[in-house]
Amino acid sequence: MSFAGTVLIVDDESHIRKYVCLILRQFAQLTIIEAANGEEALGAYERERPQLVLLDVNMPHMDGIETLRRLKEIDPTCSVIMLTSLANRKTVEEALALGALDYLRKDTSKDEMAKTLTDYFGSLDASASAPASP
Amino acid sequence: MVSSSTPHSFPVSGQKILIVDDDRLNIRILEGILNKIAGYVTAESYSGESALAVYDTFQPDLVLLDVMLPGIDGFETCRRLRQQYGEKCAPVIFITAKSGSDDVVEGLGAGAVDYLPKPFKPKEVVARIRTHLQNRALVEQQILLVEQLSRANSAKNRFLGMAAHDLRNPLASIRGLAEFLREGAVGRLSADQLDLINTIHDASQSMLIMVNELLDVAAIEAGDLKLTLEAQNLTDLVAKSVSLTNFEAAKKGTHVEFTPPTDPLVLPIDPAKMKQVLANLLSNAVKYSPPGSTVRVTTQFDLPAATCSFSVRDEGPGIPAGERDKLFQDFSRLSVKPTGGEKSTGLGLAICRKIVEAHHGTIVAENLPVRGCEFRVTLPLSP
Repeated sequence: MSFAGTVLIVDDESHIRKYVCLILRQFAQLTIIEAANGEEALGAYERERPQLVLLDVNMPHMDGIETLRRLKEIDPTCSVIMLTSLANRKTVEEALALGALDYLRKDTSKDEMAKTLTDYFGSLDASASAPASP
Repeated sequence: MVSSSTPHSFPVSGQKILIVDDDRLNIRILEGILNKIAGYVTAESYSGESALAVYDTFQPDLVLLDVMLPGIDGFETCRRLRQQYGEKCAPVIFITAKSGSDDVVEGLGAGAVDYLPKPFKPKEVVARIRTHLQNRALVEQQILLVEQLSRANSAKNRFLGMAAHDLRNPLASIRGLAEFLREGAVGRLSADQLDLINTIHDASQSMLIMVNELLDVAAIEAGDLKLTLEAQNLTDLVAKSVSLTNFEAAKKGTHVEFTPPTDPLVLPIDPAKMKQVLANLLSNAVKYSPPGSTVRVTTQFDLPAATCSFSVRDEGPGIPAGERDKLFQDFSRLSVKPTGGEKSTGLGLAICRKIVEAHHGTIVAENLPVRGCEFRVTLPLSP
């Protein structure tokens, strides 16, 4: 796993941030930052320019979909994986249509969640090992 | 709120009756009976057309309708009333001098509930009208009650959904954090500590399953059971579920046996939902069979009937006599208990039935001759 970078976790529930944080620690060389709501997430994104955002769907005030929309306005190339508690097909589809890469179900086991992240980091490795562009 | 009036207390006087007759003398007589004697409020019309207009403003509880009228006749007036007001239309009673059976039949066919032959016998008029008003009151009460109950039920489902949804995240975190602890991710644990952590993990795990089942039921009852059908090999699905279950079953020394048929059984199913059915039936079979049992799974293909089926046979106590009806109902647990102290919400089989039925399939359970029982799910080859 050669991915080394900053990951932003956005969730209004601190226990979820802690849990996801522990899952991410399994992947080496990550800097992890947290945000507890949409506004904080936008500020943190502007400051830190993380390589990946894990974004909760269900948040009070500015929900995940709206946050995603604004993140894409700030940086159309930002990489976002949604955090959802319920495989709410409609919301997930909406997020994917807005440019989210994938979604993580918070109510699945940590191994299942880790697998989605492994797949994502793996896809980065694969594209990194492809012939480098000038 | 459920209405406080009981079916036995009908306010008889004060109800509104529309009398439609082109013969004013008839109207006078009926008014005398209904208004003066029985205390009803009456209104009158001399033609079908005006009756339709008066009905709209007067909103009667019952209509007395002459058959022979200038303009549209009584039958047509009745049909139009039924057409316009549907189920909510007040009962219509025909007034007829001709009590020939053809007329009566046509009147009832037009949506009337009864007829009154002329000349009127006051007691008969009052008795028949009272009966029909009571009937109508009962029907209205029934409709109201059903509406109230279905509103209460959907409120319950919304509440259930919200509560279960909000419980799920913290539970998932508790379980996940316990997993990290027991794997030693944050330092070595003593045997006692590990035992406690395992208890936390298992308790949050079983609670998570319970919450998920509650959410499923709430979603299904709210009409949110939407299938995404794909052509799937049923055998693969069964094999995957069997190997997953065997992992858990091994803790009880129980084994799930499945010999896949050589030919694939491809049919349109929602793989995620059908996996849920399989997981449920398999875990039930393990749950209710004594430790060390063998659970047998088979798949069948029935070309003439254009169906595919799978069955799960356990070695448990079977379904107690008299409890078959409860088997696939919400929140119903039978008197038989899991053999390894496992938990049950009483929702699993109800969810299975709803998923299978959404696939236009059937699920049945039969006790086996010696011991144990067989659950069989049959699915159509085309949706």
